[in-house]
Amino acid sequence: MSRMAQGLVLVLLGAAALSATLAGDLYLNYVQAAFRPFLITAGGVLVALGAVVVAADVRAAVRGDGADDGGDPVESGGQDHHDHGAAHGHDHAHGPGVAWLLLLPVIAVFAVSPPALGAYTAANAQSEPPSGAALQEPADADALAASAPPEEPVELKLREFVVRAWTDEERSLAGRTVRLTGFVVPNDSGEGWYLARLQMACCAADAIVNRVLITNEPAPQKDSWWTVEGQWVEPEGKLLEVRDHRFEVAQMTEVVNPPDPYE
Amino acid sequence: MPDGPSGAAPRPTSLGDSLVPGWDGDDDLLPPSDWGRRPGQRRTTTVWLFALFIAVLAAGNAWLADRLTAEAFLAWATIFTAISLQALPFLVFGVALSAALTAFVPPSFWQRAVPRNSAMAVPVAGAAGAVLPGCECASVPVAGGLIRRGVAPAAALTFLLAAPAINPVVLVATAVAFPNSPEMVAARFVASLTAAVAVGWLWARFGRGEWLRMPRSDHAPGASKWRVFADSMRHDIMHAGGYLVVGGLAAATLNVVVPREWVSAVADVPLLAVLVLSLLAILLSICSEADAFVAASLSAFSPTAQLAFLVVGPMVDLKLIALQAGTFGWGFVRRFVPLTLLFTVVSSLVVGGVLL
Repeated sequence: MSRMAQGLVLVLLGAAALSATLAGDLYLNYVQAAFRPFLITAGGVLVALGAVVVAADVRAAVRGDGADDGGDPVESGGQDHHDHGAAHGHDHAHGPGVAWLLLLPVIAVFAVSPPALGAYTAANAQSEPPSGAALQEPADADALAASAPPEEPVELKLREFVVRAWTDEERSLAGRTVRLTGFVVPNDSGEGWYLARLQMACCAADAIVNRVLITNEPAPQKDSWWTVEGQWVEPEGKLLEVRDHRFEVAQMTEVVNPPDPYE
Repeated sequence: MPDGPSGAAPRPTSLGDSLVPGWDGDDDLLPPSDWGRRPGQRRTTTVWLFALFIAVLAAGNAWLADRLTAEAFLAWATIFTAISLQALPFLVFGVALSAALTAFVPPSFWQRAVPRNSAMAVPVAGAAGAVLPGCECASVPVAGGLIRRGVAPAAALTFLLAAPAINPVVLVATAVAFPNSPEMVAARFVASLTAAVAVGWLWARFGRGEWLRMPRSDHAPGASKWRVFADSMRHDIMHAGGYLVVGGLAAATLNVVVPREWVSAVADVPLLAVLVLSLLAILLSICSEADAFVAASLSAFSPTAQLAFLVVGPMVDLKLIALQAGTFGWGFVRRFVPLTLLFTVVSSLVVGGVLL
């Protein structure tokens, strides 16, 4: 890999990071919003470094090949680096072939621009009773009561809803009208469909699915976004042994402008 | 044309190249194909090829947007992009820090700061790992920079293992993910540091210099410090970055292919559960700052198995193995990775048994 090629790969890689953050919100499909400043910095550094490498190479070309003290072995006559073993593992000007793979993220961002994870991932994932981070959320009846008077619907994130459904032993959700927003995931292995949302700690590779099972309405189109209003179907027996919490829909409206799928 | 499968095509070739015995980073043992051509011509060709590549990208974007609907492929592409973008700032930060160590810190500083005796230097380096906030992508190039500056390899490797596992950001993330069991944070710290120091001591005692392929820094004596800095950064990104992509490809594939149900099926078998979560940590290659949240979500497993996930992940995973291979060579990876894996699993079992 020549010096020029390395410089151009660096510029492209930096440009991919910059365009995913500055030219829109593409990066939100992949990583947390908090990554924005770091991606911009890294992208800027890569573009600048690439520009320096390209400029140095062009200068060397103008001066005449081989004058560059970086000592590109190809340019200073190929047999050079066979003569002294110093070139081994340390050919500072010549890049390894594997570095071409750095173009894959560039292709992924510019040409493929894959969408955020959705129904496909949510259908294959398993929903599990939460632990850890989820449990610290206040699951007491007071917090729920404080958010809205009992007769009015209360708006909850899907994550909050399932955490409460699984862990609130006082079952303060029972009888409350709740509003949830998420995307539609078909249930391939049984009745009904899921309303789901993804929870992301850092990047899409660690996404966790939160979902509720809905059986009293026909399934809308997969991956379409809906806001549903209704009630938790209070399960019998231990809360933590429920596999999927059920939700009885009273009314539902399609979301025209879907938000970030991760919450 | 530039979709995943065809884009990934160069991978087997370059991996194959790299497995050839005696491979040590120079892919130019053979004369370049353009031997004898005028170099100026070659340079112009490179520029034109990149211009063509950019044009194909633009065309590909327009063409693929309508046609790419295979959900599995898109989920794979999303996760691959996510891993690459997430690792990029850490890689750039690590490489810049490593280059700064090479260019601006004189070797005499390290001779004073790090104990000469590597048995002493190893625990010092392990404790120093608690200071660098970053994930594994940053620690590999930094360790490379330390070795290049004459720090004993055993100490630098201990730092490499300890830094992503026990730095403050990771410990805080763990505390947030396990709010009801603060002992998990303590267990993670103790088990990770123990494993890192144990591996370091073994390496100090039995390790051999020739297992490590390290680029020597024989820059032209007259080169300015900034020149050395830029050169070293470019060199490290080209070596580590390419392998990071290899690791990202593998991790994304396994992330999509392995259903979590298979994993949960063994949650109740004690020792097997620990081994399965260790394996999962290796395959998923989640950044050490996020892995605690995933471990917390694997609630069907015993705390000891979750601890193994947290201890093994930052020290051994696909992304990291690829990065280490790019920086230190496969001869190193072949010896270092199994050793580290053994110690991380054993130390999780012991510490988990005592503390959790």
